[in-house]
Amino acid sequence: MAGERAVGLVRELQRAAGGHLPPFRAEELRQALEEMRALYERNQADVSEAKAGRTDLIFLIRFRHCCLLRNQRCIVAYLYDRLLRIRALRWEYGSILPNAIQFHMSAEEVEWFNRYKKSLATYMRSVGGEEGLDLTQDIKPPKSLYIEVRCLKDYGEFEIEDGTTVLLKKNSQHFLPRWKCEQLIRQGVLEHILS
Amino acid sequence: MSEAYFPVGPGLGPEENFLSLDDILMSQEKLPGRAESSLPRLAFALGQGAAGGSGDSIPEGSKLEIPMWLAKGLHDSKRRIISVELPKIYKEAWRTVFSADANVVDLHKMGPYYYSFGSQLLNFDNPENPEIAQTILQTFISRFRRIMDSSQNAYNEDTSMLVARLDELERALFRAGQKGLNDFQCWEKGQASQITVSSLVQNYGKRKFTDMDS
Amino acid sequence: MEPAEAEFLAEQELVTIVPSFSMDRVHLIGVRGRGHKRGVPVWLAINLKQRQKCRLVPPEWMDVEKLEEMRDQERKEDTFTPMPSPYYMELTKLLLNYASDNIPKADEIRTLVKDTWDTRMAKLRLSADSFVRQQEAHAKLDNLTLMEINTIGTFLTQALDHMYKLRTNLQPAHGSQSQDF
Repeated sequence: MAGERAVGLVRELQRAAGGHLPPFRAEELRQALEEMRALYERNQADVSEAKAGRTDLIFLIRFRHCCLLRNQRCIVAYLYDRLLRIRALRWEYGSILPNAIQFHMSAEEVEWFNRYKKSLATYMRSVGGEEGLDLTQDIKPPKSLYIEVRCLKDYGEFEIEDGTTVLLKKNSQHFLPRWKCEQLIRQGVLEHILS
Repeated sequence: MSEAYFPVGPGLGPEENFLSLDDILMSQEKLPGRAESSLPRLAFALGQGAAGGSGDSIPEGSKLEIPMWLAKGLHDSKRRIISVELPKIYKEAWRTVFSADANVVDLHKMGPYYYSFGSQLLNFDNPENPEIAQTILQTFISRFRRIMDSSQNAYNEDTSMLVARLDELERALFRAGQKGLNDFQCWEKGQASQITVSSLVQNYGKRKFTDMDS
Repeated sequence: MEPAEAEFLAEQELVTIVPSFSMDRVHLIGVRGRGHKRGVPVWLAINLKQRQKCRLVPPEWMDVEKLEEMRDQERKEDTFTPMPSPYYMELTKLLLNYASDNIPKADEIRTLVKDTWDTRMAKLRLSADSFVRQQEAHAKLDNLTLMEINTIGTFLTQALDHMYKLRTNLQPAHGSQSQDF
Protein backbone atom coordinates (compact mmCIF):
# COMPACT_ATOMS: atom_id res chain seq x y z
CA MET A 1 0.00 0.00 0.00
CA ALA A 2 1.17 3.52 -0.78
CA GLY A 3 2.93 5.42 1.99
CA GLU A 4 4.46 2.36 3.63
CA ARG A 5 8.06 3.42 3.08
CA ALA A 6 7.49 6.92 4.38
CA VAL A 7 5.68 5.72 7.49
CA GLY A 8 8.47 3.21 8.01
CA LEU A 9 10.87 6.14 8.39
CA VAL A 10 8.58 7.68 10.99
CA ARG A 11 8.21 4.40 12.82
CA GLU A 12 11.96 3.89 13.07
CA LEU A 13 12.48 7.40 14.36
CA GLN A 14 9.72 7.05 16.94
CA ARG A 15 11.25 3.81 18.21
CA ALA A 16 14.59 5.55 18.82
CA ALA A 17 13.60 6.86 22.25
CA GLY A 18 15.03 9.67 24.31
CA GLY A 19 16.08 11.88 21.41
CA HIS A 20 18.54 9.37 19.96
CA LEU A 21 19.39 10.02 16.29
CA PRO A 22 19.17 6.90 14.11
CA PRO A 23 21.05 6.76 10.78
CA PHE A 24 19.67 8.94 8.01
CA ARG A 25 17.77 6.71 5.59
CA ALA A 26 18.72 8.25 2.26
CA GLU A 27 17.66 5.26 0.19
CA GLU A 28 14.24 4.87 1.77
CA LEU A 29 13.69 8.58 1.42
CA ARG A 30 14.59 8.42 -2.25
CA GLN A 31 12.15 5.56 -2.78
CA ALA A 32 9.37 7.43 -1.00
CA LEU A 33 9.97 10.48 -3.19
CA GLU A 34 10.03 8.23 -6.24
CA GLU A 35 6.67 6.80 -5.21
CA MET A 36 5.32 10.33 -4.94
CA ARG A 37 6.60 11.20 -8.40
CA ALA A 38 4.91 8.12 -9.85
CA LEU A 39 1.62 8.90 -8.10
CA TYR A 40 1.76 12.45 -9.38
CA GLU A 41 2.45 11.42 -12.96
CA ARG A 42 -0.34 8.87 -13.05
CA ASN A 43 -2.71 11.43 -11.61
CA GLN A 44 -1.68 13.97 -14.23
CA ALA A 45 -2.57 11.52 -16.96
CA ASP A 46 -5.88 10.52 -15.36
CA VAL A 47 -6.88 14.11 -14.70
CA SER A 48 -6.78 14.85 -18.42
CA GLU A 49 -8.89 11.76 -19.08
CA ALA A 50 -11.35 12.74 -16.36
CA LYS A 51 -11.66 16.16 -17.91
CA ALA A 52 -12.44 14.44 -21.19
CA GLY A 53 -15.38 12.67 -19.54
CA ARG A 54 -14.00 9.68 -17.61
CA THR A 55 -15.64 10.75 -14.32
CA ASP A 56 -15.26 7.21 -12.96
CA LEU A 57 -11.60 8.06 -12.46
CA ILE A 58 -12.27 10.84 -9.99
CA PHE A 59 -12.27 8.58 -6.96
CA LEU A 60 -8.99 6.99 -8.01
CA ILE A 61 -7.44 10.41 -8.50
CA ARG A 62 -8.58 11.40 -5.08
CA PHE A 63 -7.13 8.25 -3.60
CA ARG A 64 -3.72 8.94 -5.16
CA HIS A 65 -3.87 12.50 -3.98
CA CYS A 66 -4.42 11.32 -0.39
CA CYS A 67 -1.40 9.05 -0.73
CA LEU A 68 0.69 11.97 -2.00
CA LEU A 69 -0.29 14.11 0.96
CA ARG A 70 0.35 11.25 3.35
CA ASN A 71 3.84 10.70 1.98
CA GLN A 72 4.54 14.38 2.17
CA ARG A 73 3.45 14.55 5.80
CA CYS A 74 5.54 11.56 6.82
CA ILE A 75 8.65 12.88 5.10
CA VAL A 76 8.34 16.41 6.44
CA ALA A 77 7.69 15.14 9.97
CA TYR A 78 10.64 12.75 9.68
CA LEU A 79 13.04 15.49 8.61
CA TYR A 80 11.70 17.95 11.14
CA ASP A 81 11.90 15.61 14.11
CA ARG A 82 15.48 14.76 13.15
CA LEU A 83 16.35 18.44 13.22
CA LEU A 84 14.88 18.69 16.73
CA ARG A 85 17.15 15.86 17.79
CA ILE A 86 20.17 17.42 16.09
CA ARG A 87 19.47 20.75 17.75
CA ALA A 88 19.34 18.99 21.14
CA LEU A 89 22.83 17.60 20.45
CA ARG A 90 24.23 21.14 20.31
CA TRP A 91 22.87 21.80 23.81
CA GLU A 92 23.75 18.49 25.37
CA TYR A 93 26.93 17.56 23.61
CA GLY A 94 28.58 20.74 22.46
CA SER A 95 29.56 22.27 19.14
CA ILE A 96 31.77 19.44 17.89
CA LEU A 97 30.03 16.15 17.32
CA PRO A 98 31.90 12.85 17.38
CA ASN A 99 32.10 10.84 14.17
CA ALA A 100 29.71 8.20 15.48
CA ILE A 101 26.96 10.80 15.46
CA GLN A 102 28.00 12.55 12.26
CA PHE A 103 27.80 9.22 10.42
CA HIS A 104 24.09 9.24 11.19
CA MET A 105 23.53 12.61 9.57
CA SER A 106 22.97 13.59 5.95
CA ALA A 107 25.19 16.24 4.36
CA GLU A 108 22.31 18.72 4.61
CA GLU A 109 21.86 17.95 8.29
CA VAL A 110 25.54 18.53 8.97
CA GLU A 111 25.23 21.84 7.13
CA TRP A 112 22.15 22.74 9.17
CA PHE A 113 23.93 21.86 12.40
CA ASN A 114 26.85 24.12 11.46
CA ARG A 115 24.55 27.01 10.70
CA TYR A 116 22.61 26.51 13.91
CA LYS A 117 25.88 26.44 15.82
CA LYS A 118 27.00 29.71 14.24
CA SER A 119 23.69 31.37 14.79
CA LEU A 120 23.67 30.35 18.45
CA ALA A 121 27.27 31.50 18.90
CA THR A 122 26.48 34.90 17.39
CA TYR A 123 23.55 35.27 19.74
CA MET A 124 25.53 34.21 22.78
CA ARG A 125 28.27 36.72 21.97
CA SER A 126 25.65 39.48 21.79
CA VAL A 127 24.20 38.96 25.27
CA GLY A 128 25.69 39.31 28.74
CA GLY A 129 28.12 42.16 28.17
CA GLU A 130 31.39 42.29 26.27
CA GLU A 131 32.45 38.73 26.78
CA GLY A 132 29.12 37.28 25.79
CA LEU A 133 27.34 34.57 27.72
CA ASP A 134 27.55 30.83 27.19
CA LEU A 135 23.94 29.79 27.60
CA THR A 136 24.77 26.11 27.49
CA GLN A 137 26.70 26.42 30.77
CA ASP A 138 25.23 26.15 34.25
CA ILE A 139 22.10 24.32 33.19
CA LYS A 140 21.64 23.74 36.92
CA PRO A 141 22.36 26.48 39.47
CA PRO A 142 26.02 26.07 40.42
CA LYS A 143 26.87 25.48 44.07
CA SER A 144 30.55 26.34 43.79
CA LEU A 145 33.13 27.57 41.30
CA TYR A 146 35.25 24.46 41.55
CA ILE A 147 34.09 20.88 41.52
CA GLU A 148 35.60 17.46 42.11
CA VAL A 149 35.69 15.24 39.04
CA ARG A 150 36.81 11.73 38.20
CA CYS A 151 38.13 10.83 34.78
CA LEU A 152 36.17 8.04 33.07
CA LYS A 153 38.48 7.64 30.08
CA ASP A 154 41.92 8.70 28.89
CA TYR A 155 41.42 12.16 27.46
CA GLY A 156 44.91 13.65 27.45
CA GLU A 157 46.13 17.15 28.19
CA PHE A 158 43.48 19.63 29.22
CA GLU A 159 44.10 23.33 29.57
CA ILE A 160 42.49 25.22 32.45
CA GLU A 161 41.96 28.94 32.61
CA ASP A 162 45.40 30.25 33.58
CA GLY A 163 47.18 28.31 30.86
CA THR A 164 48.26 25.44 33.06
CA THR A 165 47.35 21.97 31.91
CA VAL A 166 46.27 18.83 33.69
CA LEU A 167 46.55 15.31 32.37
CA LEU A 168 43.11 13.69 32.25
CA LYS A 169 43.93 10.01 32.70
CA LYS A 170 41.42 7.28 33.33
CA ASN A 171 40.43 7.04 37.04
CA SER A 172 42.42 10.15 37.98
CA GLN A 173 40.64 12.69 40.19
CA HIS A 174 40.82 16.48 39.81
CA PHE A 175 39.52 19.65 41.37
CA LEU A 176 38.66 21.87 38.41
CA PRO A 177 36.76 25.06 37.55
CA ARG A 178 33.17 24.06 37.02
CA TRP A 179 32.68 26.00 33.81
CA LYS A 180 35.67 24.29 32.25
CA CYS A 181 34.46 20.77 32.78
CA GLU A 182 30.69 20.93 32.54
CA GLN A 183 30.74 19.96 28.88
CA LEU A 184 33.20 17.11 29.43
CA ILE A 185 30.89 15.74 32.11
CA ARG A 186 27.92 15.88 29.76
CA GLN A 187 30.01 14.11 27.14
CA GLY A 188 30.84 11.31 29.56
CA VAL A 189 34.59 12.03 29.79
CA LEU A 190 34.45 13.18 33.40
CA GLU A 191 32.17 12.29 36.27
CA HIS A 192 31.03 14.92 38.76
CA ILE A 193 31.70 13.74 42.32
CA LEU A 194 29.60 15.21 45.07
CA SER A 195 31.36 15.67 48.38
CA MET B 1 15.36 11.36 28.91
CA SER B 2 17.16 14.05 27.00
CA GLU B 3 16.69 17.48 28.48
CA ALA B 4 16.91 19.41 25.22
CA TYR B 5 14.84 17.27 22.84
CA PHE B 6 11.14 18.05 22.94
CA PRO B 7 9.21 16.14 20.30
CA VAL B 8 6.08 17.55 18.71
CA GLY B 9 3.20 16.24 20.81
CA PRO B 10 0.02 14.63 19.54
CA GLY B 11 -2.88 16.94 18.76
CA LEU B 12 -5.58 14.91 20.54
CA GLY B 13 -9.15 16.09 20.13
CA PRO B 14 -10.55 17.29 16.81
CA GLU B 15 -7.26 18.27 15.16
CA GLU B 16 -4.24 16.09 14.52
CA ASN B 17 -0.82 17.65 14.87
CA PHE B 18 0.68 17.58 11.37
CA LEU B 19 4.31 17.09 12.47
CA SER B 20 3.66 14.77 15.40
CA LEU B 21 5.19 11.31 14.95
CA ASP B 22 2.64 10.00 17.44
CA ASP B 23 -0.24 11.28 15.36
CA ILE B 24 1.22 9.87 12.16
CA LEU B 25 1.47 6.41 13.71
CA MET B 26 -1.98 6.81 15.27
CA SER B 27 -3.52 7.61 11.87
CA GLN B 28 -1.79 4.54 10.43
CA GLU B 29 -4.08 2.33 12.55
CA LYS B 30 -6.77 0.66 10.49
CA LEU B 31 -10.50 0.73 10.75
CA PRO B 32 -13.17 -1.44 9.16
CA GLY B 33 -15.12 -0.09 6.22
CA ARG B 34 -17.19 -1.09 3.22
CA ALA B 35 -17.18 -0.12 -0.46
CA GLU B 36 -20.53 1.54 -1.16
CA SER B 37 -20.01 1.35 -4.89
CA SER B 38 -17.70 -0.55 -7.17
CA LEU B 39 -14.16 0.82 -7.05
CA PRO B 40 -12.23 0.23 -10.27
CA ARG B 41 -8.42 -0.07 -10.25
CA LEU B 42 -8.20 0.13 -6.48
CA ALA B 43 -7.92 -3.47 -5.33
CA PHE B 44 -4.14 -3.68 -5.59
CA ALA B 45 -3.66 -0.18 -4.28
CA LEU B 46 -5.64 -1.09 -1.17
CA GLY B 47 -3.90 -4.43 -0.85
CA GLN B 48 -7.06 -6.39 -1.66
CA GLY B 49 -6.03 -7.85 -4.99
CA ALA B 50 -6.79 -11.50 -4.34
CA ALA B 51 -9.84 -11.09 -2.13
CA GLY B 52 -11.90 -9.25 -4.73
CA GLY B 53 -11.47 -11.93 -7.31
CA SER B 54 -12.45 -9.60 -10.16
CA GLY B 55 -9.15 -8.24 -11.40
CA ASP B 56 -8.19 -4.88 -10.03
CA SER B 57 -11.58 -3.58 -9.04
CA ILE B 58 -13.29 -3.80 -5.71
CA PRO B 59 -16.94 -4.87 -6.04
CA GLU B 60 -19.69 -2.95 -4.27
CA GLY B 61 -20.29 -4.12 -0.71
CA SER B 62 -16.76 -5.47 -0.17
CA LYS B 63 -15.33 -5.25 3.28
CA LEU B 64 -12.27 -3.04 3.60
CA GLU B 65 -9.61 -2.35 6.17
CA ILE B 66 -8.17 1.08 5.62
CA PRO B 67 -5.90 3.29 7.70
CA MET B 68 -7.38 6.30 9.45
CA TRP B 69 -5.53 8.81 7.27
CA LEU B 70 -7.01 7.33 4.12
CA ALA B 71 -10.48 7.03 5.60
CA LYS B 72 -10.32 10.71 6.51
CA GLY B 73 -9.03 11.68 3.09
CA LEU B 74 -11.68 9.73 1.21
CA HIS B 75 -14.58 10.58 3.46
CA ASP B 76 -17.30 12.48 1.71
CA SER B 77 -20.68 12.79 3.37
CA LYS B 78 -22.42 13.74 0.13
CA ARG B 79 -21.16 10.93 -2.05
CA ARG B 80 -20.61 7.97 0.20
CA ILE B 81 -18.18 5.85 -1.75
CA ILE B 82 -16.61 4.24 1.27
CA SER B 83 -18.42 3.90 4.58
CA VAL B 84 -16.60 3.50 7.83
CA GLU B 85 -17.59 1.33 10.77
CA LEU B 86 -16.67 1.67 14.42
CA PRO B 87 -13.85 -0.53 15.69
CA LYS B 88 -15.37 -2.73 18.37
CA ILE B 89 -13.71 -0.95 21.29
CA TYR B 90 -15.74 2.17 20.50
CA LYS B 91 -19.02 0.27 20.05
CA GLU B 92 -21.79 0.19 22.57
CA ALA B 93 -20.87 -3.14 24.15
CA TRP B 94 -17.41 -1.84 25.01
CA ARG B 95 -18.72 1.55 26.02
CA THR B 96 -20.74 -0.27 28.67
CA VAL B 97 -17.59 -1.98 29.91
CA PHE B 98 -15.83 1.36 30.13
CA SER B 99 -18.62 2.98 32.08
CA ALA B 100 -18.71 0.04 34.52
CA ASP B 101 -14.98 0.12 35.29
CA ALA B 102 -12.58 1.77 32.88
CA ASN B 103 -9.61 0.66 34.96
CA VAL B 104 -9.93 -3.01 34.04
CA VAL B 105 -9.39 -2.45 30.32
CA ASP B 106 -6.01 -3.07 28.74
CA LEU B 107 -5.95 0.05 26.59
CA HIS B 108 -2.59 -0.77 25.13
CA LYS B 109 -3.77 -4.03 23.69
CA MET B 110 -7.01 -2.47 22.51
CA GLY B 111 -5.46 0.78 21.33
CA PRO B 112 -2.74 1.70 21.59
CA TYR B 113 -3.97 5.17 20.64
CA TYR B 114 -7.38 4.87 22.24
CA TYR B 115 -7.97 8.57 22.93
CA SER B 116 -6.45 10.09 19.78
CA PHE B 117 -7.91 7.48 17.45
CA GLY B 118 -11.30 7.76 19.12
CA SER B 119 -11.23 11.54 18.73
CA GLN B 120 -10.48 11.17 15.03
CA LEU B 121 -13.34 8.68 14.60
CA LEU B 122 -15.70 11.56 15.26
CA ASN B 123 -14.90 12.86 11.77
CA PHE B 124 -17.22 10.33 10.16
CA ASP B 125 -20.62 11.72 11.18
CA ASN B 126 -21.56 8.56 13.03
CA PRO B 127 -24.91 8.94 14.84
CA GLU B 128 -23.22 7.55 17.98
CA ASN B 129 -20.63 10.34 18.01
CA PRO B 130 -21.92 12.05 21.17
CA GLU B 131 -21.77 8.78 23.12
CA ILE B 132 -18.28 7.98 21.82
CA ALA B 133 -16.95 11.41 22.75
CA GLN B 134 -18.52 11.14 26.18
CA THR B 135 -17.09 7.66 26.81
CA ILE B 136 -13.57 8.69 25.80
CA LEU B 137 -13.65 11.65 28.17
CA GLN B 138 -15.12 9.64 31.04
CA THR B 139 -12.57 6.87 30.52
CA PHE B 140 -9.74 9.37 30.88
CA ILE B 141 -11.30 10.80 34.01
CA SER B 142 -11.85 7.40 35.63
CA ARG B 143 -8.34 6.20 34.91
CA PHE B 144 -6.71 9.46 35.96
CA ARG B 145 -6.47 8.67 39.65
CA ARG B 146 -4.66 5.40 39.22
CA ILE B 147 -2.16 6.89 36.77
CA MET B 148 -1.47 9.80 39.10
CA ASP B 149 -1.11 7.69 42.24
CA SER B 150 1.17 5.12 40.67
CA SER B 151 3.36 7.67 38.91
CA GLN B 152 3.70 9.73 42.08
CA ASN B 153 4.07 6.73 44.33
CA ALA B 154 7.14 7.30 46.46
CA TYR B 155 7.65 3.71 47.55
CA ASN B 156 9.11 2.32 44.35
CA GLU B 157 6.41 -0.26 43.92
CA ASP B 158 6.52 -2.19 40.69
CA THR B 159 4.37 -0.28 38.23
CA SER B 160 5.29 -2.22 35.09
CA MET B 161 2.03 -4.20 35.14
CA LEU B 162 0.01 -1.04 35.23
CA VAL B 163 2.06 0.76 32.59
CA ALA B 164 1.74 -2.19 30.21
CA ARG B 165 -2.01 -1.59 30.14
CA LEU B 166 -1.87 2.13 29.46
CA ASP B 167 -2.55 3.70 26.09
CA GLU B 168 0.23 5.83 24.52
CA LEU B 169 -1.19 9.10 25.79
CA GLU B 170 -1.48 7.72 29.32
CA ARG B 171 2.06 6.40 29.17
CA ALA B 172 3.44 9.81 28.33
CA LEU B 173 1.43 11.24 31.19
CA PHE B 174 2.70 8.56 33.53
CA ARG B 175 6.29 9.39 32.56
CA ALA B 176 5.69 13.08 33.23
CA GLY B 177 4.39 12.24 36.70
CA GLN B 178 7.29 9.95 37.42
CA LYS B 179 9.81 12.54 36.32
CA GLY B 180 8.32 15.05 38.77
CA LEU B 181 8.68 12.57 41.59
CA ASN B 182 12.14 11.34 40.55
CA ASP B 183 13.49 14.87 40.26
CA PHE B 184 12.21 15.59 43.74
CA GLN B 185 13.68 12.42 45.21
CA CYS B 186 17.03 13.12 43.58
CA TRP B 187 16.98 16.54 45.13
CA GLU B 188 16.10 15.08 48.53
CA LYS B 189 19.09 12.77 48.30
CA GLY B 190 21.28 15.74 47.45
CA GLN B 191 21.94 14.67 43.88
CA ALA B 192 20.12 17.52 42.19
CA SER B 193 23.19 19.70 41.90
CA GLN B 194 25.23 16.96 40.25
CA ILE B 195 26.04 17.52 36.60
CA THR B 196 25.32 14.30 34.78
CA VAL B 197 26.18 12.74 31.48
CA SER B 198 23.74 13.57 28.69
CA SER B 199 21.33 10.74 27.96
CA LEU B 200 21.98 11.33 24.26
CA VAL B 201 25.64 10.51 24.81
CA GLN B 202 24.79 7.41 26.82
CA ASN B 203 22.61 6.22 23.97
CA TYR B 204 25.42 6.54 21.46
CA GLY B 205 27.74 4.64 23.73
CA LYS B 206 25.34 1.71 23.84
CA ARG B 207 24.46 2.04 20.20
CA LYS B 208 28.04 1.59 19.08
CA PHE B 209 28.05 -2.00 20.29
CA THR B 210 24.79 -2.92 18.62
CA ASP B 211 26.01 -1.34 15.40
CA MET B 212 29.07 -3.53 15.41
CA ASP B 213 26.95 -6.60 16.04
CA SER B 214 24.71 -6.09 13.08
CA MET C 1 11.32 24.16 37.04
CA GLU C 2 13.92 21.84 38.50
CA PRO C 3 14.04 21.25 42.27
CA ALA C 4 17.62 22.60 42.13
CA GLU C 5 16.21 25.90 40.88
CA ALA C 6 13.63 26.05 43.66
CA GLU C 7 16.47 25.46 46.11
CA PHE C 8 18.48 28.24 44.45
CA LEU C 9 15.61 30.65 45.08
CA ALA C 10 15.34 29.47 48.67
CA GLU C 11 19.01 30.32 49.23
CA GLN C 12 18.05 33.98 49.01
CA GLU C 13 15.98 33.71 52.23
CA LEU C 14 17.50 35.29 55.31
CA VAL C 15 18.78 33.27 58.22
CA THR C 16 20.42 34.40 61.43
CA ILE C 17 24.07 33.65 62.08
CA VAL C 18 26.51 34.39 64.86
CA PRO C 19 29.84 35.09 63.18
CA SER C 20 32.97 33.86 64.87
CA PHE C 21 35.13 36.44 63.12
CA SER C 22 35.06 40.12 62.40
CA MET C 23 35.84 41.74 59.14
CA ASP C 24 35.30 45.37 58.36
CA ARG C 25 35.05 45.28 54.65
CA VAL C 26 32.05 43.04 54.26
CA HIS C 27 29.49 45.64 55.33
CA LEU C 28 27.66 45.25 52.07
CA ILE C 29 26.57 41.77 52.98
CA GLY C 30 25.81 42.72 56.53
CA VAL C 31 28.25 40.72 58.62
CA ARG C 32 29.29 43.09 61.35
CA GLY C 33 31.49 41.48 63.91
CA ARG C 34 32.27 38.62 66.18
CA GLY C 35 29.40 37.54 68.40
CA HIS C 36 26.74 39.82 66.88
CA LYS C 37 23.63 38.16 65.52
CA ARG C 38 23.02 39.05 61.89
CA GLY C 39 20.54 38.07 59.20
CA VAL C 40 22.26 36.93 56.02
CA PRO C 41 21.11 35.02 52.93
CA VAL C 42 21.21 31.27 53.31
CA TRP C 43 23.83 30.79 50.58
CA LEU C 44 26.24 32.99 52.49
CA ALA C 45 25.42 31.44 55.84
CA ILE C 46 26.17 28.00 54.43
CA ASN C 47 29.40 29.18 52.87
CA LEU C 48 30.56 30.69 56.16
CA LYS C 49 29.41 27.67 58.10
CA GLN C 50 31.30 25.30 55.83
CA ARG C 51 34.45 27.28 56.59
CA GLN C 52 33.56 27.28 60.31
CA LYS C 53 33.26 31.05 60.37
CA CYS C 54 29.87 31.16 62.04
CA ARG C 55 27.23 29.42 64.08
CA LEU C 56 23.79 29.18 62.55
CA VAL C 57 20.65 30.09 64.48
CA PRO C 58 17.76 27.96 63.22
CA PRO C 59 14.61 29.85 62.18
CA GLU C 60 12.01 30.07 64.93
CA TRP C 61 9.71 27.55 63.30
CA MET C 62 12.43 24.91 63.08
CA ASP C 63 11.50 23.59 66.49
CA VAL C 64 10.08 20.21 67.38
CA GLU C 65 7.12 21.51 69.35
CA LYS C 66 6.06 24.00 66.70
CA LEU C 67 6.49 21.50 63.91
CA GLU C 68 4.44 18.88 65.75
CA GLU C 69 1.66 21.39 65.98
CA MET C 70 2.04 22.19 62.29
CA ARG C 71 1.91 18.52 61.33
CA ASP C 72 -1.19 17.83 63.47
CA GLN C 73 -2.93 20.88 62.06
CA GLU C 74 -2.13 19.77 58.53
CA ARG C 75 -3.57 16.32 59.21
CA LYS C 76 -6.71 17.76 60.78
CA GLU C 77 -7.63 20.28 58.11
CA ASP C 78 -9.02 19.40 54.70
CA THR C 79 -7.42 22.39 53.07
CA PHE C 80 -3.75 23.34 52.96
CA THR C 81 -2.60 25.14 56.10
CA PRO C 82 -0.15 28.03 55.76
CA MET C 83 3.48 26.96 56.09
CA PRO C 84 5.93 28.89 58.27
CA SER C 85 8.09 29.58 55.21
CA PRO C 86 7.33 29.34 51.50
CA TYR C 87 10.59 27.36 51.32
CA TYR C 88 10.05 25.18 54.40
CA MET C 89 11.16 22.04 52.56
CA GLU C 90 14.24 23.56 50.93
CA LEU C 91 15.37 25.34 54.10
CA THR C 92 14.95 22.22 56.19
CA LYS C 93 17.13 20.27 53.82
CA LEU C 94 19.78 22.97 53.44
CA LEU C 95 20.11 23.84 57.10
CA LEU C 96 19.99 20.27 58.33
CA ASN C 97 22.57 19.19 55.79
CA TYR C 98 25.07 21.91 56.48
CA ALA C 99 24.42 22.93 60.08
CA SER C 100 22.78 20.03 61.89
CA ASP C 101 25.17 20.58 64.82
CA ASN C 102 23.56 23.99 65.41
CA ILE C 103 20.01 22.66 65.30
CA PRO C 104 18.67 20.76 68.31
CA LYS C 105 16.86 17.47 67.55
CA ALA C 106 17.73 17.62 63.87
CA ASP C 107 16.46 14.11 63.11
CA GLU C 108 13.09 14.71 64.69
CA ILE C 109 12.75 17.91 62.72
CA ARG C 110 13.55 16.12 59.50
CA THR C 111 10.86 13.52 60.17
CA LEU C 112 8.23 16.06 61.16
CA VAL C 113 8.76 18.16 58.07
CA LYS C 114 8.69 15.10 55.86
CA ASP C 115 5.46 13.90 57.49
CA THR C 116 3.89 17.27 56.83
CA TRP C 117 5.09 17.19 53.23
CA ASP C 118 3.62 13.70 52.72
CA THR C 119 0.27 14.76 54.18
CA ARG C 120 0.19 17.78 51.90
CA MET C 121 1.11 15.83 48.79
CA ALA C 122 -1.59 13.24 49.52
CA LYS C 123 -4.05 16.11 49.90
CA LEU C 124 -2.87 17.61 46.65
CA ARG C 125 -3.48 14.36 44.79
CA LEU C 126 -6.88 14.00 46.38
CA SER C 127 -7.94 17.47 45.34
CA ALA C 128 -6.47 17.01 41.84
CA ASP C 129 -8.60 13.89 41.44
CA SER C 130 -11.81 15.53 42.60
CA PHE C 131 -11.01 18.48 40.36
CA VAL C 132 -10.73 16.19 37.36
CA ARG C 133 -13.70 14.04 38.36
CA GLN C 134 -16.02 17.00 38.67
CA GLN C 135 -14.59 18.62 35.55
CA GLU C 136 -14.11 21.92 37.31
CA ALA C 137 -12.87 24.90 35.35
CA HIS C 138 -10.74 26.44 38.06
CA ALA C 139 -9.45 25.62 41.52
CA LYS C 140 -8.09 27.54 44.43
CA LEU C 141 -5.01 26.03 45.96
CA ASP C 142 -3.90 28.52 48.58
CA ASN C 143 -0.80 28.00 50.69
CA LEU C 144 0.93 25.59 48.38
CA THR C 145 4.67 26.09 48.08
CA LEU C 146 6.79 26.22 44.95
CA MET C 147 8.42 22.85 45.55
CA GLU C 148 5.05 21.17 46.07
CA ILE C 149 3.56 22.61 42.90
CA ASN C 150 6.71 21.68 41.03
CA THR C 151 6.59 18.03 41.92
CA ILE C 152 3.18 17.46 40.39
CA GLY C 153 2.94 20.50 38.07
CA THR C 154 3.96 19.00 34.73
CA PHE C 155 1.82 15.95 35.27
CA LEU C 156 -1.22 17.93 36.28
CA THR C 157 -1.08 20.54 33.54
CA GLN C 158 -0.57 17.84 30.94
CA ALA C 159 -3.53 15.87 32.24
CA LEU C 160 -5.76 18.95 32.28
CA ASP C 161 -4.66 19.80 28.77
CA HIS C 162 -5.68 16.33 27.60
CA MET C 163 -8.98 16.64 29.36
CA TYR C 164 -9.67 20.01 27.79
CA LYS C 165 -9.08 18.59 24.33
CA LEU C 166 -11.23 15.54 24.99
CA ARG C 167 -13.98 17.90 26.08
CA THR C 168 -13.84 19.83 22.84
CA ASN C 169 -14.75 16.50 21.22
CA LEU C 170 -18.16 16.82 22.83
CA GLN C 171 -19.05 19.89 20.81
CA PRO C 172 -21.20 18.84 17.85
CA ALA C 173 -19.28 21.24 15.57
CA HIS C 174 -16.72 18.46 15.32
CA GLY C 175 -16.52 17.10 11.81
CA SER C 176 -18.69 19.77 10.27
CA GLN C 177 -15.84 20.99 8.07
CA SER C 178 -15.64 17.67 6.34
CA GLN C 179 -19.36 17.81 5.60
CA ASP C 180 -18.87 20.91 3.55
CA PHE C 181 -16.48 19.61 0.98
